[in-house]
Amino acid sequence: MAQVTKTGELGIVTTKLDEAMKWGRSNSLWPLTFGLACCAIEMMAVQASHADVSRFGSEIFRASPRQADLMIVAGTVTKKMAPRVRRLYDEMPYPKYVIAMGACVIQGGPYARGYSVVLGVDRVIPVDVYVPGCPPTPEALQFGLITLQKKIRGETNR
Amino acid sequence: MEDTEDKQKTFMGKEYTLGKDGRKIIFLTKDEFLPFMKRLKESGFSHLSLITGVDRRDYIEVVYHLHSISTNEIVVIKVKTKDSRVPSVTSLWSSADWDEREQYDMMGIIFEGHPNLKRILLPEGWIGHPLRKNYDMDTPQYVNMDEDGEDYVTFDSGDGW
Ligand code: SF4
Repeated sequence: MAQVTKTGELGIVTTKLDEAMKWGRSNSLWPLTFGLACCAIEMMAVQASHADVSRFGSEIFRASPRQADLMIVAGTVTKKMAPRVRRLYDEMPYPKYVIAMGACVIQGGPYARGYSVVLGVDRVIPVDVYVPGCPPTPEALQFGLITLQKKIRGETNR
Repeated sequence: MEDTEDKQKTFMGKEYTLGKDGRKIIFLTKDEFLPFMKRLKESGFSHLSLITGVDRRDYIEVVYHLHSISTNEIVVIKVKTKDSRVPSVTSLWSSADWDEREQYDMMGIIFEGHPNLKRILLPEGWIGHPLRKNYDMDTPQYVNMDEDGEDYVTFDSGDGW
């Protein structure tokens, strides 16, 4: 068997700075640690070993909005919580992205005719990707994350 | 815990009916409520597991589930109230504090003698008690936060969410 000596030298890739930035951003989307209801359980499953979102560069759930790039709104947004969600979003640095996870976050879900639930988190903060389901499977959230990565890179999703 | 006279019919001197789950249900009037609760506490029902309310339109039924940890027995106490007022049991079980606040918030039941009876889930200033049958569902209320981080309630959909 031939012996390979690793020298640590790298080959050269040429790209545009813009493309390199998008590539970096899309593959290190650090989500904010927060969950609002049952959907958050599936979000935690995405982070755990079976689904393992770290394969896509999002394994580090930041405990502070100032270090996060991505807000996964997972769970029912109540009217009392909405100002807090807005404040967390405002404290995140640019560029920032939002995934709306689950029926509740998209349009109120099973509580749409209740008195206490916001009918869609897009009334509170701008949303990039909607992931439908009640709750969405971990695979669906991963698909949403990949969709967001493609969106950041400016690719179309087919 | 069982009463001596008639094991089938009465429990600590009060008549009961059996619920579908086999729990004893005892109806009390407002006057006999507090002394009887005190006796239950003294006879070993140390855990107040639940307080809830039922809106029967004409009156409100306040339901207490009491659990005896030593005998693993559960009794259900029901009190009817027309003016939605019942005496507070916070002096007997401290866990009644938040349970009673929740029932005040959701059902508008006023617990007389409660040390701090204010809303626990909804923000202060919310109009109405949402689990009451006569709650006005057609007037949405919105919540926003002021500079100091305090919630306020508004009817203007442009001001809150
Ligand atoms: S969409 Fe379904 S699973 Fe998700 S928070 Fe709402 S009720 Fe829970």
